[in-house]
Amino acid sequence: MRTRRLKMSLVKDAKGLFQQNIREFGMYIALAVIMVIFTITTKGVFISSRNISNLLNQGGYIAVLAVGMTLVIIIRHIDLSVGYLSGFLGAVAAIAMVSWRLPVYIAIPFVLMCGILAGLFSGFLVAQMKIPAFVATLAGWLGYRGALQLATMRTGTIIIPNAAFNAISNGYVPDIPGIRILPGVHKVTLILGVLVILLFIINSTINRRRTQAYSFKVLSIELFILKLVFISALIGGITWVLAGYRGLSWTAVVILIVLLFYNFIMSQTFLGRHIYAVGGNPEAAELSGISVKKITYVVFCSMGMLAGLSGIMFASRLQSATTTAGQLFELDAIAAAFVGGASATGGIGKVAGSIIGAFVMMSMTNGMNLMGIDISYQYIVRATVLAAAVIFDVATRRREK
Amino acid sequence: MVKATPIVEMRNIKKNFGGVQALRGVDLTLQRNEVLGLVGDNAAGKSTLMKVLSGAYIPDEGEIFIEGKKVHISNPWDARRLGIEMVYQDLALADNLDVAANVFLGRETASTKLGPISVMDKHYMEQETQRLLDRLKIDISSVRSIVERLSGGQRQAIAIGRATAFDNKVTIMDEPTAALSVAAIDKVLDLVRELKAQGNSIIIISHRLEDIYQVSDRMIVLRQGRKVCEYPVVGKLDEFRERVVAYIIGARDDFAKRGAS
Repeated sequence: MRTRRLKMSLVKDAKGLFQQNIREFGMYIALAVIMVIFTITTKGVFISSRNISNLLNQGGYIAVLAVGMTLVIIIRHIDLSVGYLSGFLGAVAAIAMVSWRLPVYIAIPFVLMCGILAGLFSGFLVAQMKIPAFVATLAGWLGYRGALQLATMRTGTIIIPNAAFNAISNGYVPDIPGIRILPGVHKVTLILGVLVILLFIINSTINRRRTQAYSFKVLSIELFILKLVFISALIGGITWVLAGYRGLSWTAVVILIVLLFYNFIMSQTFLGRHIYAVGGNPEAAELSGISVKKITYVVFCSMGMLAGLSGIMFASRLQSATTTAGQLFELDAIAAAFVGGASATGGIGKVAGSIIGAFVMMSMTNGMNLMGIDISYQYIVRATVLAAAVIFDVATRRREK
Repeated sequence: MVKATPIVEMRNIKKNFGGVQALRGVDLTLQRNEVLGLVGDNAAGKSTLMKVLSGAYIPDEGEIFIEGKKVHISNPWDARRLGIEMVYQDLALADNLDVAANVFLGRETASTKLGPISVMDKHYMEQETQRLLDRLKIDISSVRSIVERLSGGQRQAIAIGRATAFDNKVTIMDEPTAALSVAAIDKVLDLVRELKAQGNSIIIISHRLEDIYQVSDRMIVLRQGRKVCEYPVVGKLDEFRERVVAYIIGARDDFAKRGAS
């Protein structure tokens, strides 16, 4: 009798939790389904350590752009210029190191600064001149495309000979030498994975206690433990798969840093709160003393900086700057943000969601490539996924009302 | 009413928009702990007058005194510093944020500051919001509820609560009962009474004369940018309504001579 009642309340709690977070959960479920399908259809090749590791490295530059794009979409704008801006800034990085002979530790901050400047310009057009972001950044799209072609006109593809720079998208975190146990498994990655799981459990427990102390509602203890187990298993699984190849790549480290930093800004700081407020109701934000103009500048500058980072990652991946770098990146980033739960009406979107969204789209490409599906079908399948994600978003929002 | 220094006194306020005279020299006083109803037809100048007081518009002519001291209000921040808060008709809530976030919007409390980045003290803000809801007897299940999912009455209550959360002196409400159900209107009116009981001074703009009648101590009727009537709210609702309507449509005018001079 007691166990039955317990089960009933558990089911009810879980149902409520699911309904409240259906948009967030939907995406994780989608990613899980896609991974399972491709694992089956490729007879396990998809989930192999090597492929997943590769997938992360390939998706990095889109994931980073998607993070910036999420913020832009939250404040009800769009940035079409960032694809070619990313390509152009990659070329700037290459020229800085090859022609100007700048050391890599100066070239990278320099390129990021250039990105911020570019963002300042877009921000000026949108916030100051009140030009619709679509048009303003379309101009940027054309301009940066021209700039990229100019930069690479004389030399064509610029080969980057710098090993440290190229390691960003091709290298891995070195392992501790001399440990005999678990040969072929990357120990540093495993240790980091365990640390992350421990931190997550400790943090969740403290948070739950604090919330209880303020007598706010919390998850029932059974569901709480279930959630801890599920997420720990997820992190553990990813860690194990990655450790099975060459461990944590530098790209993964970069993505993690971007994720943690932006997640912190968006969920814990005044700035993040104000960004969401501007997206939710710009007039209300302005009346509350938040400068919509300032927030617009900050968001476009962050987008520009991340475009610079994305350009660096892509140039590093190819170990060169090419004339076509950055083509369609902006659309991939926008798609990733929408698949990741951002809402076209503004005010809603999460950084983690967009990164997952980027990997959903990347997994689709990667999985279908492994299956040998023709590229034309691939586009159609990806279109379906994007449309489905947006329909799902609109439908769940309507039902809540 | 005792002739004490009024908390708000506006004298001879004039405001033109292009060729249109929106306000043609309006006087208004609000006593401490008084609820003043402000009525009039569309374009009578009610909202314009209140936007002058809340800093959204700068008047062409006229003086404003707060607790007897002459002040210059040139933006909403000046008004807020003087303890004047306005609840806008379109609510001015961010629908995507929760109740606590809306109450503290633009006035967040920091737990730590890392250079230019201020980290929010979420627990403090949630606790204070809960205290505010309890104090004003606003019934909302959780301060973490997303505002979009609340009813119209609850949203209005939050908008009013938010305006009065930071020890303001004067609360201006622009059509607080528009587009609400009957039950929700009653709750909002209860909230107005509660605020008065707690010492707040309130100006209410409304089309609904029965609402003004229920909560106001005094009322002012504006017509075509002029004050045409100033009267304590007394008598039966029907008589009150009849009299006020006569002023609103221009059949009666107590200040006709002064307006013409």
